[in-house]
Amino acid sequence: MNYKAIIIGGSAGSFQVVTKIIASLPANYPLPVMLCLHRLKHVRSGFVEALSIKAQMPILEPNDKDPIKSGKIYLAPANYHLYIELGNKFALSTEEAVNHSRPSIDLSFFSAAYNYKQKLVGVILSGANKDGAMGLKSVKDNGGLTIVQDPNECQVPTMTLASMNATNVDHVFSTNRIIDYLLNLE
Amino acid sequence: MAGSLGIVDTKKMIAVIKEAYGLDLADYTLTTLKNRFIRILTYFNIGLVDNFVEQVKKNNINYEELLDVFMIDCTELFRDPSLWRELREVYLPDISKSSGSKIWMASLSSGEELYSLLVALKELNLSNGLRVEASCVSQLRIDRIKKGGQFDMKKMELGDANYTRLSGKFEFSNYYNVNGNKAEMDATLLNGVEFNKINISQDVQNKSFRFIMFRNVLIQYNMPLYERVVRKLIDSLTIGGYLVIGNKETLEHCEVGKKMQLVNEAEKIYRKRID
Repeated sequence: MNYKAIIIGGSAGSFQVVTKIIASLPANYPLPVMLCLHRLKHVRSGFVEALSIKAQMPILEPNDKDPIKSGKIYLAPANYHLYIELGNKFALSTEEAVNHSRPSIDLSFFSAAYNYKQKLVGVILSGANKDGAMGLKSVKDNGGLTIVQDPNECQVPTMTLASMNATNVDHVFSTNRIIDYLLNLE
Repeated sequence: MAGSLGIVDTKKMIAVIKEAYGLDLADYTLTTLKNRFIRILTYFNIGLVDNFVEQVKKNNINYEELLDVFMIDCTELFRDPSLWRELREVYLPDISKSSGSKIWMASLSSGEELYSLLVALKELNLSNGLRVEASCVSQLRIDRIKKGGQFDMKKMELGDANYTRLSGKFEFSNYYNVNGNKAEMDATLLNGVEFNKINISQDVQNKSFRFIMFRNVLIQYNMPLYERVVRKLIDSLTIGGYLVIGNKETLEHCEVGKKMQLVNEAEKIYRKRID
C-alpha cells in the first residue's frame, strides 16, 4: 500500500456523499479515514451517530493526543480544528476560525499534508465556500494524491471548483468512482 | 495562514524567543507553533525568519505584543452551555458548601472563561462566598480583562446565543456595555478576583484550590509539557477538588491522571481521588 491515510473535506451538500462513501468501506479497510466536515459549532452530539448508521468501520471524534489507527474513521469534533501531529497522533485546536470555519478543512489538510507527504489521499466534496481549496493544494504540493467530487454532481460546487482552481487535481470523479478508487488503492 | 513554516525556521523562532524573553515554547505542538509563528510574522510584517531573529535581538519587538499575538483565545463566552449548566446546578453549589473554597482560573487568555464563571456565580448569589484567583501569562491581557475585556461584537452575539442556550437568569446584554465596535463586560463582576501573572508551564505556585478550570490549553502542549502541567494542576487541588478541561481533552494520556476520577464524561469534569 502506497498510502497511509485518507482525508475527506466537505460542507453543504456533502452529508449524503460522505455517508455513501463510508458505507462502502469494509470494516477491515487498511487505512485511517479522517473527515473534516463543516458542522454547527454548538451541536456536539448526533453527527457521529448519524454517520455511523450505515458505516462498517467504527467512527469516532478523537480526543486530543489520541493515536491514529488504521480501520477507523475519525470525524473532526464540533468547534475544534483537527490537526495531525508528529508521532501519528491527533491534536485539537481552538485557534481562530479559518474561512469562517472551525473545524477548518484547510487547516486539517495542511497538517495532514505536512505529516503524510506523498502517502496521503485528499478528497474534496460538495461545499458552499472555498475552505479546503488551499488545503487540497498543499496535499498536491507535498506529493499526495488529490481527488474532487465532480462539480456537475455536487449539490453545491463552490468548494470543488475552488479546489480545481487552486491546484491541478489528479482526479475529478463522481461519488461512485471515488468509492471504486478508494476501494482499489494500491 | 496559508503559508507554511519549516521545522528549521520553527526551531530558530523557539530559540530566539527563549533567549530574549525567557519564554519556553519548545514543548508546544508543532502545528500550533507553525500556525502561531506565521501569525506573528504576518502581524509584525516580517517575511523571513532570519529577519525576525534579528529584530528580536535588536530589541525591536515588544514582548507583550508578541505574546498577545501568540496566545490562542481558547474559548467563547459560555462555550459549551451544557457544561455551564452542570457547573451552575451541581458543582458550584457543591463547592460553596465548604468554607473558604477557592477557584483557580489557571490560564486566562481572553477572559471569556473568567467572565462566564463570574456571571454564573453572581446568578447563584455566590459572588461573595467563593474566592476566585485568575492567572495569566500576559500582563497586557490582564489589564485588558480588568477593563472589561474588549470583545468583538460578533463574539458577544455568540456569547448571547450560548447564554440563551444555558437559560441564564437575565438578559445577557445586562452584563456588558458597547463601546464603538467593542463590548466591555461589566468590570464590577471582578470585585474580589485576585489576578496574578503566572506562566503555568514554567512557574511554580504552591496553593490549594477546590476547583480549577483549565479548558483547551493542554491541547497546545506536547506530551512532556502536558504531563508536567497535569501534575501541577492535580497538586494544586484539594482532595475531592474538581478539575475541568476541554470536552475533547483527556487526562488518560498520562499516569498521573489516574489520581483523578472522571465524574462527568461529557463535560470532562474530574475529581481528585481520596486515596
